[in-house]
Amino acid sequence: MSNEILENLKKAILEYESEKAANLAREALEKKIDPAKALNVMTEAVRQVGDGFGRGELWLPDLVGAADAMQSAMPIIQKEIERKGMKVETLGVVVVGTVFGDIHSIGKTMVCTLLAAEGFTVYDLGVNVTAEKFIEAVKKYKADILAMSALMTMTAPEQRKVIAILKKENLRDKVKVMVGGGSLTEEFAKNIGADGYDPTAPGGAKLARRLLNK
Amino acid sequence: MLKGFTRKFKPLEILTEEHVEAIHRGILDVLQETGVRFESKRALKLFEKNDCQVDWSNNQVRFPPALVEECLRKAPSSFRIKARDPKNDLIIGGNTVYFEPGVGMQTIDIDTWELRTATRKENYDGVTILDALDTVHFLSCYCPYFGFDNVPSVMAMLESVAAKIRNSTKAQWSGYQGREVFVIEMAKAAGIELLGNIICSPPLTYYGDGVENIFRFIEAGFPIDVCGGGTIAGATGPATVAGSLIADGALNVAGIVLVQLIKPGTRVIVQGGAGPQNMRQGSPAFGAIGGSLHNVAYNQIFRHYKIPIMDAGCYAGSSKRIDYQNGYEKAIPAVLAALSGANLIGFHGGMYGELSWHPFQAIIDDDVAGMIGRFIEGIKVNDETLAIDLIEKVGPIPGFYLNKEHTRKWWKKEQFVPKVADRLTYPEWMKTGKKSCLDYAKERMDEIAATHKVAIPLTSSQEKDIERILKEARKYYKEKGLI
Ligand code: B12
Repeated sequence: MSNEILENLKKAILEYESEKAANLAREALEKKIDPAKALNVMTEAVRQVGDGFGRGELWLPDLVGAADAMQSAMPIIQKEIERKGMKVETLGVVVVGTVFGDIHSIGKTMVCTLLAAEGFTVYDLGVNVTAEKFIEAVKKYKADILAMSALMTMTAPEQRKVIAILKKENLRDKVKVMVGGGSLTEEFAKNIGADGYDPTAPGGAKLARRLLNK
Repeated sequence: MLKGFTRKFKPLEILTEEHVEAIHRGILDVLQETGVRFESKRALKLFEKNDCQVDWSNNQVRFPPALVEECLRKAPSSFRIKARDPKNDLIIGGNTVYFEPGVGMQTIDIDTWELRTATRKENYDGVTILDALDTVHFLSCYCPYFGFDNVPSVMAMLESVAAKIRNSTKAQWSGYQGREVFVIEMAKAAGIELLGNIICSPPLTYYGDGVENIFRFIEAGFPIDVCGGGTIAGATGPATVAGSLIADGALNVAGIVLVQLIKPGTRVIVQGGAGPQNMRQGSPAFGAIGGSLHNVAYNQIFRHYKIPIMDAGCYAGSSKRIDYQNGYEKAIPAVLAALSGANLIGFHGGMYGELSWHPFQAIIDDDVAGMIGRFIEGIKVNDETLAIDLIEKVGPIPGFYLNKEHTRKWWKKEQFVPKVADRLTYPEWMKTGKKSCLDYAKERMDEIAATHKVAIPLTSSQEKDIERILKEARKYYKEKGLI
């Protein structure tokens, strides 16, 4: 019985069904299924889709569909895990956003999706995010990684500003910073003192693992 | 006035009348029911004053259909834009077709095909080449390069406008994110009009710095390009062409309404250029045929509205090289754009999705634009061109036409002769070093660089003004901490 619910939860994610996934998560908790087990099958499902994308068999809408389905079930399971005083099994917490002055969202959203698929807990702050908002979120979510996207040469320097404030607030050694986006280069990333840069979203997810030695 | 090309036959239409109606209804409905988000208090106030419903909690504006249709009617169906040399003025609209170059963030190293930042000289030489090419009628914002060596990014647009004013007498468009203040001053100093542009951010959004600029342009009496954000079907718009036509169309029409509310009768051109998403890399699928399906239909709809159209979907493919792929991914969309009624087509020199530009590509594209232009000029049919008398006089073999006066008179009018295409026979080609169009493009580039001079150089007082405005801008941005 419990196996069947978990199987269905996994299937819902593999079939990109957000509502069904959320309902099955609720059902699982009602049936007293271990929330950690539910979380495991969800992560496994998204990873399976991520691998399919990596092999070139699945496409972006599939990847985003699976990540969305997982995100809709996630808060339900997470709440239960916290209620039970268990620790959420995650590779780490990542705060993501496109910097102030910049509204390019597509690459940033891909990064969020692939980080989630990799097994990170992701907080997407959206676009046009001010330095203050980034800092606030890093504190609030106790982020392990701050990931910033910038698509324009004009807005890339915002990332330097955020890093400077992190230092000022004595947060710099508590959070790894990774950067990306069309206008950036490895050299620029080094220059502004970021911990990592990757030109692609899938590479970004792997980079996040490396940054936390996971 | 620059004649450009004239389409001498009916435009290509791929929607039925019912389709056009359905899309028009969809546009009106979306504008009325959901509306468009405008992050500009000034715009919102104006909308409210004109009986639009403004939701101040999320800055969404809902438009009464009657107002929308009235504003579409107020925009002129064709208009003139003033260049530095009156010979280069354009009259945009109707069945005229003009070309403008593509843009690139950087240039490419022709040996390695890798990207690198262009030098100041390369940017200025690029403008000179565009000034020399006959099929370049208008100069785009940020062409050829989006900034060059040692130019702080906040100054890139201003330096680009200055380069085009100095090295060319063709008309140009530019100006947003506050930079319009300075580019309008430069235009006035040079005695030209600038096509300003309002920038949308699909889905259904206009941000402040892409909107507030047009108040300034309209105050200066300049025309406006309502710049389609380039809806990406599947990402920033519906995955279906029909749906993306409504989403993209509604956004553009909202921009036209704003322009007409600021000052009725203001000259506008609407810019299409949507297409599908590359579902692997996440970028727009530059050069995809889906973009042409969108643009051809888009052209049909905006011809129905009698608004001049710019088609920005042909300026770049997805290839990183000047190669066969780049050729077909640009040429096919450009042919379709010209056939379907685009008045201004972005084309020359652009390569991978606005990220690169190269003069060889621009010179090859000059030939392609020439071919397209020749095609849309169509077939001249009269007694002389029908040549019935001649055919009967020459008769069967050994009759021959090469030595006839009719041939001498007509062949150049009928044929388009490309400048850098390889048309040699095999033996000639072997003997002359097996050159390709790339080699010929380089030769033509060198020749232009050595011989072409801008027809009317700036006067020394104009030059002083441009330099002063650039200096003021640098000072202004330095004080703002942006340099
Ligand atoms: C689509 C697009 C838009 C859309 C954006 C829609 C949206 N919702 O995102 C719209 C039309 C709204 C837009 C607006 C503008 N744009 Co724009 N836009 C583009 C375009 C064509 C594609 C960008 C894109 O989505 N690429 C696909 C995604 C997937 O790529 P990506 O974001 O780089 O992400 C990949 C990697 O970089 C990486 N990544 C991204 N973020 C991160 C973060 C981390 C941590 C990591 C590890 C990795 C990573 O992962 C992704 C995939 O693997 C580019 C040109 C181009 N070919 O890139 C111009 C471009 C970025 N835009 C540009 C400009 C100038 C603008 C405008 C100012 C004016 C205009 N041209 O319209 C406005 C800016 C408004 C603002 N204030 O931000 C310029 C920037 C030039 C520069 N050097 O500064 C470009 C390069 C075009 C050009 N040559 O002029 N734009």
